[in-house]
Amino acid sequence: MSESIFKIGAQGVDTGAIVEEIRATVARKAEQGLYSDPRIARAEKTNLSNLSDREFDQYYMECLRDAVFVDINDFEIHEKRRFFSGFLVGLKRLIWKMLRFYTYRLWSQQNEVNGILLAAAEANESRNRERIDELEARLARLEGRK
Amino acid sequence: MSRAQRIAFIAPRFPEGATVGGAETLLKNLANCAAAAGREVSFLTTCARNHFSWANEVPPGERTINGVKVHFFPVDEDRDIPTFARLQEIISRGGHLSTEDQKAWLANSVNSRPLCEYLRADTGKFDKIVAGPYLFGITYFAAAINPHKTVLVPCLHDEPFAYLPVIGEMFENVGGIMFNSEPERDLAARLYKLQSRRCFVVGMGITPFSADPSAFAARRGIDAPYVIYCGRREPLKGTPLLLDYVNAFRCRSGRDIKLVVTGSGPMNIPPELEPHVLDVGFLEEDEKHEAMAGAVAFCHPSRNESFSIVIMESWLAGTPVLVTAASDVMRDHCLKGNGGLWFRSYPEFEEELSALLDNSELRTALGKNGREYVLREYAWPTIEKKLFTAMDADVP
Repeated sequence: MSESIFKIGAQGVDTGAIVEEIRATVARKAEQGLYSDPRIARAEKTNLSNLSDREFDQYYMECLRDAVFVDINDFEIHEKRRFFSGFLVGLKRLIWKMLRFYTYRLWSQQNEVNGILLAAAEANESRNRERIDELEARLARLEGRK
Repeated sequence: MSRAQRIAFIAPRFPEGATVGGAETLLKNLANCAAAAGREVSFLTTCARNHFSWANEVPPGERTINGVKVHFFPVDEDRDIPTFARLQEIISRGGHLSTEDQKAWLANSVNSRPLCEYLRADTGKFDKIVAGPYLFGITYFAAAINPHKTVLVPCLHDEPFAYLPVIGEMFENVGGIMFNSEPERDLAARLYKLQSRRCFVVGMGITPFSADPSAFAARRGIDAPYVIYCGRREPLKGTPLLLDYVNAFRCRSGRDIKLVVTGSGPMNIPPELEPHVLDVGFLEEDEKHEAMAGAVAFCHPSRNESFSIVIMESWLAGTPVLVTAASDVMRDHCLKGNGGLWFRSYPEFEEELSALLDNSELRTALGKNGREYVLREYAWPTIEKKLFTAMDADVP
């Protein structure tokens, strides 16, 4: 998580400089993948209307890519109870394997749908972006002509 | 310059008790300021209290409140609400409306024919008519009665309604416009053809106060740091975003931070966040100020602000603010006052809130700067001067 990165100088605080510093920190951490988190993608759903720049569109797509596939890989199975822990771990592993076996078709279909939806969203985003860039360039040319 | 002695202020509701609204509070406070300075002030408003139902709840008639004659007129009950809702939906989606439909939208918005008839009966009884906010039918039709005498207090936001040609005509026809901030004026200048000599940036005076930062948490049994939001809870004010961000912050950071919310309106709180949200509804001003004083930050997620009284109050309470960068007005206040930070996305929010939680020196410095900014820029004597410059300006 974040560390405190701000010092207050003799002139006091400069909020413009602080926000710039925060943006630089965010850019650095984003490169390291520290915000690739489906919880962020979910939290950003109401911020979509505020999106305006390319940087953020790309960031949101990145979040979506990270969250798109359902994860059914094996994981460490523990047991907190002292008695019969070996037996209970074995039982849980068996249940997990059966669950995976019987839901495999469902899981693979879901991943396929998610993948198709992501590809469509990416294609749409890039097509719209190209169109907007083209329109902006045309607008700038027309305004320049005035 | 000619002194405007008899002034009528017009707002859709009169703020009393639980009837609040930023624009209405602004107009009421400006009216009180003018009355205290010896002007003859009348406040024309409707009998409505609820901004969803617009039902006539207050008895019609005249009452003197704080030296101001307040005239309550009934809201027209024959408005065609389905037509209004249908047209409003089209506008909200950025759709195109014919001039007739734009006028139908205004005609079926909140209106009061008795109020307009009162104004029309004797146009000489007022030297100036101050009306706002811009997107109500009542403001549009009152401004059309005597546009040269009308000073519009638009409380303008960058939203689809502001782009309607009929709204543009109102801005272009009135005698003067009082904006709450420079970014609001710049937005109007981008949207309409305005003469700069008819445009004034006034804002609102804020009465200084001090508040005990530990009182609210002690009274309510809050034992963790909290962020606060005060005001209407609705998507246009960005409250769903605030809930989502605070929830994500708690999940990702593992830190125990609470959210205190005052005001009215429904909230769809995620179940896992519910135990950490304290919804206290309407608070008396003193308790609201104490709640603000004890917060790590006042968070304002709304892009639709033309002034933001609550961030001024938060600064007077010594608390920094965390605002959405989508609001030019609040970002401008934060930059000028050095009293708060602004975020474009969740990661920026997370970094900024973490910085405020970890660095009490930063928090104190931002809160202190904010308080100094409000005392310097929004003291009543400063605002009074700006108000009367706008009010007494001759119509070009």
